[in-house]
Amino acid sequence: MAETIFKPKRKSGPIKFATLGAWGISILFFLPVAWIISTAFKPKASIVVSPPVFIFKPTLNNITEALSFDNTLSYFTHSIIYSFGSVIIAILVAYLAAYSFSRYKPAGTDFLMFLLLSTRFVPAAAFVVPYFQLFNLLKLKDSYIGLIAFYAMFSIPFSVWILKGFLDGISQRFDETGLVYGASRWHIMFKVILPQVKPGLVASFVFNILFVWNEFLFNFQLGGAKTFGIPVGLFTGSTKGGAIDWAYVASIGTLYVLPLVVVIYAFQKYLLVGLTFGTVRGEV
Amino acid sequence: MYDIKLQGITKKFDAFTAVNDINFTIPKSSVTVLLGPSGCGKTTLMRMIAGLESPTEGRIFFDEHDVTDVPTRRRNIGMVFQYPVIYRGTSVRKNLELPLLSEKLSKAEMDKRVDEVAEILDLQDVLKRQVEELDNGTRQKIAVGREVARQPRIILFDEPITNIDLTSKLELKRSMKELFGRLKQTIVYVTHDQTEAMTLADQIALMQDGVITQCDSPKEIYEKPNSQFAGWFLGNPGMNFVPPQFINVSGSKITSPLFSQTIDFGTKASSADTFGVRAEGINVSTTETKGGVQARVTRKSIGAGGQYLLDLAVGSLLIKARVSHSIGRTAKDAVWTSIESENITFFDKSGKAL
Repeated sequence: MAETIFKPKRKSGPIKFATLGAWGISILFFLPVAWIISTAFKPKASIVVSPPVFIFKPTLNNITEALSFDNTLSYFTHSIIYSFGSVIIAILVAYLAAYSFSRYKPAGTDFLMFLLLSTRFVPAAAFVVPYFQLFNLLKLKDSYIGLIAFYAMFSIPFSVWILKGFLDGISQRFDETGLVYGASRWHIMFKVILPQVKPGLVASFVFNILFVWNEFLFNFQLGGAKTFGIPVGLFTGSTKGGAIDWAYVASIGTLYVLPLVVVIYAFQKYLLVGLTFGTVRGEV
Repeated sequence: MYDIKLQGITKKFDAFTAVNDINFTIPKSSVTVLLGPSGCGKTTLMRMIAGLESPTEGRIFFDEHDVTDVPTRRRNIGMVFQYPVIYRGTSVRKNLELPLLSEKLSKAEMDKRVDEVAEILDLQDVLKRQVEELDNGTRQKIAVGREVARQPRIILFDEPITNIDLTSKLELKRSMKELFGRLKQTIVYVTHDQTEAMTLADQIALMQDGVITQCDSPKEIYEKPNSQFAGWFLGNPGMNFVPPQFINVSGSKITSPLFSQTIDFGTKASSADTFGVRAEGINVSTTETKGGVQARVTRKSIGAGGQYLLDLAVGSLLIKARVSHSIGRTAKDAVWTSIESENITFFDKSGKAL
């Protein structure tokens, strides 16, 4: 049987079939996004036509028109404030929690970590009514404080999980060397250890911003005119005229994905490490 | 510089007692090696000196200062860990300088200190390099140098050479030896490697089951182990132990089929239970000698220094002897052995040397 074992591998062509397949599938996933973006630049007349038009003269009319609506800009401002606000707070809190879990290992750490994630077990719809009542009671409805607190609460557990993985990969000897040098815990946490878990910070930032940026249900229920974000704006704006305004949907949609695309693309190299939860590192 | 006094130090982890009521003084300005097998409590003891663990019971003094409740960062110590702690993304020089930054030294003083340690540790050529580019041995040198440059009063080493590959290990050990010769600090060095301990120590504190069983200079502890454990743990191979059935005691006189002389051991003779002899304490001859005890060679192997290690059977007793190259080479089946009285250490029933 030796011959079969040593038979050289079949030479593959310039582009492997598998590579082509992978490209095909990836493009398939990208199609809806491509449709949204291309629609944003289509002249109104060629948006909803059958067969679809692929070649057209790009125009900015849809986008300028969408932006000229009363609330459009404020939707963006609201989205940016509560998304970035809540995620940054969440990461800060999560880092402190993850540091404690990783370094002090309080009794029952594993169970506590499990409990943390349990908020994500229950479907969001189950919480809508209780939160609505609670927010009314606490007069937090349609306020940034309320929304930021809510989204931060939702973002913390996952961030703790990601960051703890990263922190566990950073040897405690760094902390102890810091202590020996006379550094305070704060100094060690923020000047010695924090820079080493950058990929983890980026990963939790990206995952959470994706969630909060896209979240519709709670923003719709707990927010209001002063705090509605883009998803709610898109939903209400798209049906304003009685029929669905595809030009509006596509224009806002395009502007809406833009910041995310930029953020994710810029941090891609950190993100890949982030997806492994830092477990690849081991002791120092 | 400070000496380190340990008073009744005990450390318990739940039911496990890692360090058990140690009363001991680590002398100032010298190198004390805590040596012992894994799990004997040596690292725990060192971490308590550093303040990274707090003792369950007992007090720790640096000279007259009670530091038991003083946090690590106020103890003015240096510590090198098993895995080199280096700061990635910076140069070697920056790594050495980092802890000095908070001490508000003048630029000249800082450079002087860094250059000094770089010279002792042979790091001048890599000062400008990035730490990521360097091997583990060099990284550990950086970690050592960083502690030295800070000039704390006490420097603790927690098995710094253990995780370094073999070739860098020898070099690092040499650098450490040279460094320790120059330093005036009180140095505590933890290791389970006896050759490291023998090379570097002014005194070795041998630990077993959370207790320091003996503390002496390397030579003393090797030649005069105060327990069977010390005899067994130090030396490669460890001491030969001859069980009671090969010892005859009558009054103050001790005889054994293993040696031809009669040893007068005075009043202590009655408590002699076993005796130990080091492999190199056994004289071996390939020709019959007067008073020699005949032994059978069951195995021989050559060591790194060209000496031979012989496994000998004297009747039913098996012992190991280290012999010169020429004797080892020519030793055939039968050899004749003798043991000088001063190479024999008697132990009582509990394993304590008499």
